[in-house]
Amino acid sequence: MLECEGETVCVIMCASVKYNIRGPALIPRMKTKHRIYYVTLFSIVLLGLIATGMFQFWPHSIESSSDWSVEKRSVRDVPVVRLPADSAVPERGDLSCRMHTCFDVYRCGFNPKNKIKVYIYSLKKYVDDAGVPVSSTISREYNELLTAISDSDYYTDDITRACLFVPSIDVLNQNSLRVKETAQALAQLSRWDRGTNHLLFNMLPGGPPDYNTALDVPRDRALLAGGGFSTWTYRQGYDVSIPVYSPLSAEVDLPEKGPGPRRFFLLSSQVALHPEYREELDALQARHGEAVLVLDKCTNLSEGVPAARKRCHKHQVFDYPQVLQEATFCVVLRGARLGQAVLSDVLRAGCVPVIIADSYVLPFSEVLDWKRASVVVPEEKMSDVYSILQSLPRRQIEEMQRQARWFWEAYFQSIKAIALATLQIINDRIYPYAAISYEEWNDPPSVKWGSVSNPLFLPLIPPQSQGFTAIVLTYDRVESLFRVITEVSKVPSLSKLLVVWNNQNKNPPEDSLWPKIRVPLKVVRTAENKLSNRFFPYDEIETEAVLAIDDDIIMLTSDELQFGYEVWREFPDRLVGYPGRLHLWDHEMSKWKYESEWTNEVSMVLTGAAFYHKYFNYLYTYKMPGDIKNWVDAHMNCEDIAMNFLVANVTGKAVIKVTPRKKFKCPECTAIDGLSLDQTHMVERSECINKFASVFGTMPLKVVEHRADPVLYKDDFPEKLKSFPNIGSL
Amino acid sequence: MQSWRRKSLWLALSASWLLILLGVLPLLRLAVPSRPRAGTLPGWPRWLDAELLQSFTQPGELPEDGPQAPRAPRGGNCNWEACFDASKCRGGDLKVFVYPAAGPISETRRRILASIEGSRYHTFSAAEACLLLLLNPDTPAGQCALMPPQWDGGRNHLVLGLHPAPCPQPFHLGQAMVAQASPTVDTFRTGFDVALPLLPEAHPLRGGAPGQLRQHSPHPGVALLALAEERGGWHTAGTNSSACPWDGSCEQDHGPKQTHPGAALPNATFCLIPGRRSDALHFLQALQAGCIPVLLSPRWELPFSEVIDWTKAAIVADERLPLQVLAALQEMPLTRVLALRQQTQFLWDAYFSTVEKVIHATLEIIQDRISGASAHPSLLWNSPPGALLALPTFSTSPSDFPFYHVQQGSRPLGKFSALIWVGAPGQPPVKLIQAVAGSQHCAQILVLWSSEKPPSPRWPKTAVPLTIIDGPRKVSDRFFPYSAINTDAILSLDAHSSLSTSEVDFAFMVWQSFPERMVGFLTWNHFWDEARDGWGYTAERANEFSVVLTSAAFYHRYYHTLFTHSLPKALRTLADEVPTCADVLMNFLVAAVTKLPPIKVPHGTRQQEASPPLAPGGPAFKQEQRPAAQDCINQMVAGFGHMPLVSSRLRLDPVLFKDPVSVLRKKYRSLEKP
Repeated sequence: MLECEGETVCVIMCASVKYNIRGPALIPRMKTKHRIYYVTLFSIVLLGLIATGMFQFWPHSIESSSDWSVEKRSVRDVPVVRLPADSAVPERGDLSCRMHTCFDVYRCGFNPKNKIKVYIYSLKKYVDDAGVPVSSTISREYNELLTAISDSDYYTDDITRACLFVPSIDVLNQNSLRVKETAQALAQLSRWDRGTNHLLFNMLPGGPPDYNTALDVPRDRALLAGGGFSTWTYRQGYDVSIPVYSPLSAEVDLPEKGPGPRRFFLLSSQVALHPEYREELDALQARHGEAVLVLDKCTNLSEGVPAARKRCHKHQVFDYPQVLQEATFCVVLRGARLGQAVLSDVLRAGCVPVIIADSYVLPFSEVLDWKRASVVVPEEKMSDVYSILQSLPRRQIEEMQRQARWFWEAYFQSIKAIALATLQIINDRIYPYAAISYEEWNDPPSVKWGSVSNPLFLPLIPPQSQGFTAIVLTYDRVESLFRVITEVSKVPSLSKLLVVWNNQNKNPPEDSLWPKIRVPLKVVRTAENKLSNRFFPYDEIETEAVLAIDDDIIMLTSDELQFGYEVWREFPDRLVGYPGRLHLWDHEMSKWKYESEWTNEVSMVLTGAAFYHKYFNYLYTYKMPGDIKNWVDAHMNCEDIAMNFLVANVTGKAVIKVTPRKKFKCPECTAIDGLSLDQTHMVERSECINKFASVFGTMPLKVVEHRADPVLYKDDFPEKLKSFPNIGSL
Repeated sequence: MQSWRRKSLWLALSASWLLILLGVLPLLRLAVPSRPRAGTLPGWPRWLDAELLQSFTQPGELPEDGPQAPRAPRGGNCNWEACFDASKCRGGDLKVFVYPAAGPISETRRRILASIEGSRYHTFSAAEACLLLLLNPDTPAGQCALMPPQWDGGRNHLVLGLHPAPCPQPFHLGQAMVAQASPTVDTFRTGFDVALPLLPEAHPLRGGAPGQLRQHSPHPGVALLALAEERGGWHTAGTNSSACPWDGSCEQDHGPKQTHPGAALPNATFCLIPGRRSDALHFLQALQAGCIPVLLSPRWELPFSEVIDWTKAAIVADERLPLQVLAALQEMPLTRVLALRQQTQFLWDAYFSTVEKVIHATLEIIQDRISGASAHPSLLWNSPPGALLALPTFSTSPSDFPFYHVQQGSRPLGKFSALIWVGAPGQPPVKLIQAVAGSQHCAQILVLWSSEKPPSPRWPKTAVPLTIIDGPRKVSDRFFPYSAINTDAILSLDAHSSLSTSEVDFAFMVWQSFPERMVGFLTWNHFWDEARDGWGYTAERANEFSVVLTSAAFYHRYYHTLFTHSLPKALRTLADEVPTCADVLMNFLVAAVTKLPPIKVPHGTRQQEASPPLAPGGPAFKQEQRPAAQDCINQMVAGFGHMPLVSSRLRLDPVLFKDPVSVLRKKYRSLEKP
């Protein structure tokens, strides 16, 4: 609609410009009365025209929108296109095509949000000169596929803005089309341009007698999403290898069966096998007896039983695909084509596919790690297949079974899944910086949930020379603040001191009043008195190590702080603090409880004084799950527990408690560890733990029984020779 | 009259305007692109007869498609199945034979040969080998390689060229695999050839420079972009530069810009590297510097792309979309930047920092192809410590290793096996066995009986199984991966070690938090000895330590496999000759893998203050032992190529350790007894 309005405005402007150009020749000679008369008349006409113009634009779209849901058509009513016998045929596929040579990436330049836009040509029926159709108009699966694309975020109906074009000409099965005429039909598509940025979907390539492994329809530069590529025909990084869809996926209900050993160790369920392979399989069965089951098609089925759903071994009849769930490994041998629909059935049954098809490019192999879900055996080693499989540890087999089922659920189970995975792969090539990671493609949901990818995974001990930045959060306790500043400035590794002034009603003391210290001191004023200001990733923080310290923590000795920093260097991905706290499961109340007693375990440290990596400030400010950040600001409590949760959740590691210190006791304050140690305080802190655990959906805190002390702490050793003699008391 | 004429003129004018507008409007309507026409759905129509459509495959067609005889590979082209005869590798083991060079060879080449010979894949017999390795000549022309005797069309051959060959290949490569630096994507045969990194001439064979990254997150002041220059240097550009790095046409108008001399490494967050093959050298520099490589439509295959997931360490972008790429870099979330930076360092250190690592990674890739399902899982290649240090012969399940518990969401087993080495006096260490067996986490006790005397028949009754393994004599047998060890944790002990149950329990609890490190009681520290111009170590009590003694230490059983199967034989022989070296060697190995110090836990000061455990008798160093022992540390530094040990200044104590509180509250109270 916006665009229409734009056009109308343009009309007005053009008109007035023209009026000005022509006007002066006529108007000056007219009397003023007349002039007003004409100008009015002209304006009315013009307004009328504009109204007409608006009318032309507006009402139609409103009408049509109401029409959309009503209008339905039949596939048989689509327009017919006659292809002259001598119309152009595209070149054969160019085997040297790569994304940066054959793909016009400029077309994707408009696309916002790193998402390619896909256009689908409207459906037509193509006939040759004699009026004979080129192919059956469209198959059920291809219709589903186009519907899936059309319903997805990739779809655009604007051909000028599209980056990828999908013809509605169905080439899923090469056997159901005429090769040359289909190519001619492709060539006359409005944006064909040698097939640039066109995507064809084909699952059954080739035809008798030589069964090429890629679609025989000449297609020039078009990308091919093909089932059954071999390494000879697959253009790495350009084509996409897709599965052959198994119609049984939709027809049969096959609930998941857990991993573990099954009745048969190895099973073959394919019916049309080359005699050589069948001999090999029979030999395997003869050698290993009950463990191997080789099925074939049934010869004496009664009327009405679909042959596709039954398999036989001698006179025993088995239901297919249910029988696949009875086997640990299932053979997927190549037939005339490399890609076999049975692969989909096998994965679905949680049976580990044993793929015996040399040079076969497995479906979505660009992103899927098939080593985790299948065993690929070279054809010449087929006779050893049993011993190869026997050598796999049981744990690995169960992992593969789980992985196989997950692959089916995510990428095989419907035409839609296949279509979207294909587009995602192409999307990732065009916007590699926004691509989906290996883990997202391959890890089943259970692993994704349980695993943690530590953001600071590299074992790295930062150089001591870098030092740390102390951040003091203060409101108005200036005297105590100055004492903290003086104490902290004695720590050798301190490199900067940052005071976060959280009081908006009062100005910080004048520059001259601040203690003189050897490192830079900066004061940051905040806009609101919020606890989360202490964890803001200020630009002034130039070191990786941050010491968060309250404005009343004066009992920590310089040795204690310096030692804390050195411990942090060895554990830069953890919270390193002084007093430790513990969470416990209260069996009576069935909820978590906060514990500050003298325990043998710790799972949290107080952030009244704690070292941590500045990256966690970024996480706290921008990536805190749920409403925790606001909740903490509103309650003015538990920001330290929230930080403990956050760090443990993202790293999967426990805190490090340093030195024997048990609480922050200081002369001025009545009690530390928040406000007081009374009952209400403990209840509030317990509530925080329960609240955070429910937001995180899990209890990320890890319990440990150790703390870090200097190597010679309390050892029988001359105190003056110790690096950290003055480690302080409780 | 005139006014009438004017009126009519105006009317005519207006009428013509009307006509023009009416004529233009429909055209305008057409020009407005692809508005939904009346009666059509935007998107693919829902057909009335969608239910009636035929399937793309007729029922029964799929299984029925005619069988066809196996086909032979096409000539000229090769893939793994077609051109490599894996059946020559007996038992699935890769055995590599290297053709001896004809005539004089250069120093680099000699050392490359030596490093292959040092690998566990090497064999001296061409008949036994399943891979014949031909080194591309690196000497000046005139000494180009001749067709080797067992060539056989290149079958099961690997032609390895670390540097571009000075002379053209004198014979057809045929079915041989080619491992070359930065091969062009057009000729590279995926899954058959191996892409190597383009190494500078002076790349070290062993040791190698560590990664340059000193901190995880980029320093706030560092430049966003560095651009590789044709002359070999880098220049950095500020964050606000637009697309100019591409064409270089904006030298004057963009912020502070620095040009670094050729050898310097770039100091920036992202390094833009053009796609030309000659720029591949920049790639390795960026990797070492921890500068995230942004490759602009590279025309060459990334090194070891078969196994390394480069999307985790580099960005391959299309050079035709400069603005989009720049915008994406500027907006990249900090989390991703952090991850990419760290991965560059890990990859540099694991596979690229030395020639030896490059060659071993190449062989490892080929071994993986032969192994099939028992190859390294992708995780092992792509997370620390890397595939060269995580052997799939140990296990293919990541959670069996000590390194991946966090990623896998798993935990090490909650039991340990005690391994007690009984040496010369040949007395059963009854007290020690009872103390260890008293731990609720002890699964079994294995006694390695290395005394000449036959094993004593009298052993204390214990709650856990006690097995005696008679026969190990060499000190390195201590670290053999005995199949009887069925727990993740090993408690390595000496007959004369003295530990209490409480100490064992606490140390094991600590180990469970750090399964990749060694957790020990007695420690040494290493230092640089200016006077002797070499490394030395001391057993004296100090504020720091870097070695824990294996006479009483917990560590993961995987380190036994690594010790036995990955260390060069020369180093293990050294450990056998000088027993104290075994401790140092084990610590070197673990530190080289983890790059972290070991962990010290408290130990009662009852006796033997950090004495060399394996030297018989004597509570302290004897002066005459020192030279040999000190020398061993320097020999190991030479063997590893660098000093891997890292010092620590902390000890992990129980939470209430020596606190003035009732002992009844303390879980590990006996730890504090004097």
